[in-house]
Amino acid sequence: MAQTTIILSIAAILLMFVNARQNGKQYEGLKRGIKQMVQTAPLILGAFILAGIIEVIIPEEFVKSWLSTEAGFKGIFLGTFAGMILAMGPYAAFPIAASILVSGAGLGTVVALITGWCLLSLMKMPFETAFFGVKFFISKLLFSLPFAIISGLIAHLLEIFLF
Amino acid sequence: MKKPLIIILIATIITMLIAYGIGGIELILEGLKKAKKTAVSSALMLVASFILIGQLNVLLTKDLMDKWLQKFEGIKGILVGAIAGGLFPGGPYIYYPFISSFLDKELPFYILLSFLFGKYIYDFSRIPLEISLINPTTALIRNLITLPMPIVVGLLAYKFHDTLKGHFGLLEAGEKDGPNNNNT
Repeated sequence: MAQTTIILSIAAILLMFVNARQNGKQYEGLKRGIKQMVQTAPLILGAFILAGIIEVIIPEEFVKSWLSTEAGFKGIFLGTFAGMILAMGPYAAFPIAASILVSGAGLGTVVALITGWCLLSLMKMPFETAFFGVKFFISKLLFSLPFAIISGLIAHLLEIFLF
Repeated sequence: MKKPLIIILIATIITMLIAYGIGGIELILEGLKKAKKTAVSSALMLVASFILIGQLNVLLTKDLMDKWLQKFEGIKGILVGAIAGGLFPGGPYIYYPFISSFLDKELPFYILLSFLFGKYIYDFSRIPLEISLINPTTALIRNLITLPMPIVVGLLAYKFHDTLKGHFGLLEAGEKDGPNNNNT
């Protein structure tokens, strides 16, 4: 955890230097970042609480038979579907994915969930239909579905053979 | 930001009621303890993530992305489209109008798709959050596995251009290599 914080901090400092040299907007970037953090803080806090509660209410038996590595394809399909109906932004979706992972879900399930959320989340529906039409939304959904399942499958195989 | 917060609050209340039904107030407290632990352990990481996101937002502007996309075509266009999608700053209110402007600018359909999938899959400003809120290993694995996807999507759209365009309902959109040039 501390290592990740250090890496992220170094990356942030490096980018500040880049901005200072390129456009002189390093302080504007800092302000923007802090403003975004303050604005999303209640959402992140709410998501942490939701994720904490999810973590304690998911029945162990359900995790074992539906979400764990042993669940195999079932977990991948369920993860993809869960990602699709997770109509929330990253501040909420990531803590939920983390809570499912901590509960004992397999890597394939979680990767399928995140990829499913990235590609299929129903949160995108109003925008895609408004800007490109219903046909585009449905085609993109059908076109993206195999990608989410394949990503879960690859992660599942990686977990079996490498970890 | 209000609407997502309301959704989260409703979902939290529902899950709390379920938790109360399963294990009473003790289970709710246990969940809250876990939430507190996560919040405390990821607080610093989140601060660093948001500073990083702010810096990315001022470095990578919409105009810069626009310039890149106008410059390339073919496979190079797909690669640039996917990367530009990942680098493009801002939320849906900014990137959907930007992507829909591709149709007016007569940019090829395969670049539109690779950009859209690049935004969905890569979104580089989201990576710090993914690392902080899930964990670095899972974030790394997920990003590596999905890395080729926007490029594959772009290549498929490039190869099966007319068929896919028809399926996506964008046949009437004008573009450089399209049969019709009447933008709607």
